[in-house]
Amino acid sequence: MNRDEIPPGTLYLLILKTLALQGESHGYEIANSIQRTTEDVLQVEEGSLYPALQRMLIKGWVTAEWGTTAGNRRARYYKLTASGRKQLALEISQFERVIGAITRVIQTA
Amino acid sequence: MPKPLELLRRIRMLLHRDRFQSDLEEEMRLHLDLREQEQREGGLSSQAADQAAYRRFGNPTAIKEKSHLTWGWVWLEDFLEDVRYGFRSMLRSPALTAVALLSLALGIGANTAIFSFLDAVMLRSLPVKDPSQLVLLGRGDDSGVTDSYGSTTLYSYPFYRLMQQKNAVFSDVAAIFSMSNRAHGTIDGRDEVEEMHIQLVSGTYFPTLGVQPALGRALTDEDDNTEGDHPVAVVSYAWWKRALAGDPAVLSRKIKLGTTIFNIVGVAPPEFFGTNVGEAPDVWIPLSMMNTAPLSFNGYKDDFYQSMLLMGRLKPDVSMEQATSNVNVLYQQITRAFPDANLNPRNLANLSKAHVVLTPMATGLSSLRNRFSDPLKILMGVTTLVLLIACANIANLLLARSTARAREFAVRQALGAGRMRLVRQLLTESLLLAVVGGLLGVGLAAFADRLLLRMISGGPDVIPLDVSINLRLLLFNLAVTVATAILFGIVPALRGTRVDVTDALKDGRGSASGTSRSPLGKVLIVAQVAISLVLTVGAILFIRSLVNLTKVDTGFNREGVLRLEVDSNVTGLKGDDPRMIAMFQQIEERVNALPGVKAASFASFVFGQGSWNTEIRVPGMEAREDINVKHNVIGNDYFAALQIPLLGGRTFGPQDTATSHRVAIISERMARDLFPPGVNPIGHHYYTRLDPRPDSDVEVVGIVKDVKFRTLQEPPQYIDYIPNPQHPWGYGDLAVRYSGDFNTVSNEVQQAIHSVNRTLPISRITTLDEQVTRSITNQRLVAQLSAFFGLLAVFLSCIGIYGLMSYIVSRRTNEIGIRIAIGASRADVRWLVMREIVLLVAAGIAVGIPITLAGSRFVSNMLFGMSGVNWISLVASVASLLLVGLIAGYLPARRASRVDPMVALRYE
Repeated sequence: MNRDEIPPGTLYLLILKTLALQGESHGYEIANSIQRTTEDVLQVEEGSLYPALQRMLIKGWVTAEWGTTAGNRRARYYKLTASGRKQLALEISQFERVIGAITRVIQTA
Repeated sequence: MPKPLELLRRIRMLLHRDRFQSDLEEEMRLHLDLREQEQREGGLSSQAADQAAYRRFGNPTAIKEKSHLTWGWVWLEDFLEDVRYGFRSMLRSPALTAVALLSLALGIGANTAIFSFLDAVMLRSLPVKDPSQLVLLGRGDDSGVTDSYGSTTLYSYPFYRLMQQKNAVFSDVAAIFSMSNRAHGTIDGRDEVEEMHIQLVSGTYFPTLGVQPALGRALTDEDDNTEGDHPVAVVSYAWWKRALAGDPAVLSRKIKLGTTIFNIVGVAPPEFFGTNVGEAPDVWIPLSMMNTAPLSFNGYKDDFYQSMLLMGRLKPDVSMEQATSNVNVLYQQITRAFPDANLNPRNLANLSKAHVVLTPMATGLSSLRNRFSDPLKILMGVTTLVLLIACANIANLLLARSTARAREFAVRQALGAGRMRLVRQLLTESLLLAVVGGLLGVGLAAFADRLLLRMISGGPDVIPLDVSINLRLLLFNLAVTVATAILFGIVPALRGTRVDVTDALKDGRGSASGTSRSPLGKVLIVAQVAISLVLTVGAILFIRSLVNLTKVDTGFNREGVLRLEVDSNVTGLKGDDPRMIAMFQQIEERVNALPGVKAASFASFVFGQGSWNTEIRVPGMEAREDINVKHNVIGNDYFAALQIPLLGGRTFGPQDTATSHRVAIISERMARDLFPPGVNPIGHHYYTRLDPRPDSDVEVVGIVKDVKFRTLQEPPQYIDYIPNPQHPWGYGDLAVRYSGDFNTVSNEVQQAIHSVNRTLPISRITTLDEQVTRSITNQRLVAQLSAFFGLLAVFLSCIGIYGLMSYIVSRRTNEIGIRIAIGASRADVRWLVMREIVLLVAAGIAVGIPITLAGSRFVSNMLFGMSGVNWISLVASVASLLLVGLIAGYLPARRASRVDPMVALRYE
């Protein structure tokens, strides 16, 4: 199984987008969801989700609440805030700008 | 993104970091468990599933640390950790900690104490509105009354009024009477008189300063527009609390001064002490009342009664240059336009030379500043040097300890601690030492301030100076503390952490690393000895200067004279009233008749009490404007009371009355220099003013020996003495030569005075000797303090030498053991160590001598009776430093000589 590293700086984007699509999720669900959606192309070192989530909590992009999983275990569920949605839009437009520029370089070649 | 919210969240994380930590752990555990479960369901064995889960997750510890970092508090947690560790390591070596803290507390405390005086006397701004806008006309370095043309310090009241009206540069101008007055008055409803410090000011004084009263109203221009009919007073807050016990009805209280009753109209705010640092008037009275007893200054309308300091508040957009030029133009215009201006060529020449300098007045006026700025600067330098020695000492101790801790650092570095992390920890430990030392220093300074203030005051009346610990002082203290921590901490920290890990981890007292650290320690010792030399030589110089001063021949016999002051103003009589003259003579007679009294006499000045001087004119000699003669008005037995030898002619007697022919007795120096050579001055006439007017003509009837008049340092003065009936002025200082018990005589003298007039207030009872001693208070202060700090410096250096040598000896125990084993005698070993000490001290002295020579030139103007290089002081200091250095080093040397080779070598 040969998977590509995610481009640097896009981890926040991936998490934000995942939360926007799925609503409340805990860390394990977010990791699985990213993997599923990208059809196993992108590889996230799963642990690195957690420092990123901590940082997003501080930034106020997400809030966290403890809840119970289907398997009846305690899990921390993250939810997007209004400022998180704004950040998502911002990250998307930034990402598209960068990708667009890179694509233009590739096409002229 | 609102930042404050983010900070709030960070702080919440800091406060509940245990919960956040466990939340994170639980979350990560769940993740791993779920992944493992998934893998197992996919068919892996439980061990393989576990491994796969970890592989996909990454290193949980590293991830935890990374999350931790995002909280942004690592620095704080590290710091707290360091502080905790620092405390533990301080307690682990209590002796070192005690020595370090003691020397730091003394060093920082002394610095803070001296700085608080420097601050109070020289730096602090007046507690008024925008003090930086205030300027003084002239330099403010004079006080009194002068009628000479071209005075740019003292001005007349009419001049003040014209300047106030005509200037274009000040928003307001105020006049301050240059003499402060101690007068006796009565508070309504009381019998006894009380002494008060009275300050005459113009009505514009408070408005110009922008000072709002705490109660009632301030003085205004209305109180000062007509002479004699505004008996109002503003009292100080401290006086209100002290003398009136904070009476809320203060505004209906009255003060009787002489025969005039003043209504209290206001109380100044608590922080306001006037404009003169080191003086705190009790009562402010408008200048319009200057001629009411007891003040009796007849100068409200006199164009040339120049007795006031003028202060202006610059308009906001006016520069100093503009103000100076405007003031100088007006100065010439106003003075020349006075109708009674005597514009003879001499006065015109003086006027045209006069230039008014504007002096910033933000820090107020201060006679203390002139007296104490040099001593304070010197003491500040001395205490800084002491602190440097203390720093060197602690650096040395820490160096020794950090070498002893080399193993610990090696272990920590081997376990992965970064060098900067270790440096930071060592610096934190230094900072901790410094902060504790600094706190102790503040406590010490608070105590030392009170002691110093008493020493500076030099008498029972403590100078009203606020030297309490304030914010500026604490900031200064903090800066000094941090600077010392860095100074003594950085080198040991860098040195201590530069370890060769494998070498240090090998067992034993490595001989290689032992020698690599000593040079730095030795350099520090050399520096300490050099600074100690500077300080001891300084101390010896100041002490010898003080001794010289106490040995000065005053011209009078300072022993066995009682001194007191009588305030005759309470009688309401003018000085030339025959009843007043008779009263003084009667007191002199009664006191003279007392059993223990040999001679008693009043005088205007006895010693160090200011002067009244004028130019004189001696017929047959050229008129000299640059020579002032000091006049002293005395009673008939003055020379007997002070035992001033009469060199020719006669003293005054009953024949010298107000109506008899006017006479004077002159000093030896005046007779020699100011009278025609070859002519006996006795019988010669002269004028006590420059103008040869008949009413100032006197005949010389006697010549007396030169005396010191204002200070012990002054060269011989030109002095003449005038009998009281012929010029009754400012009289009231009594000098009594007595034998027997001071207190008995003092009581008898006071009873005798009150038997003549019951109401006369008597104050400042002391001895002449005490009075003379008090005049050299600041020299004594500098001598005592520099001696104290000199001793402290030597003591600290001794600790340094002792510490370093003990350390070196313990590092070289193996070597010494081998030397003894192969036949070195105890004496050889002792000499081995002592030689090192002698070399260190000698090197320090060699470095210190040129610095000392340069430094002593710097203080030479503060030394009395010494000139050139002072070899005796230098040799004495060198000898004593060598001696104490050897004593300090002897103990480690003896310990070295007692090393048991068996024990020493077993260690290897």
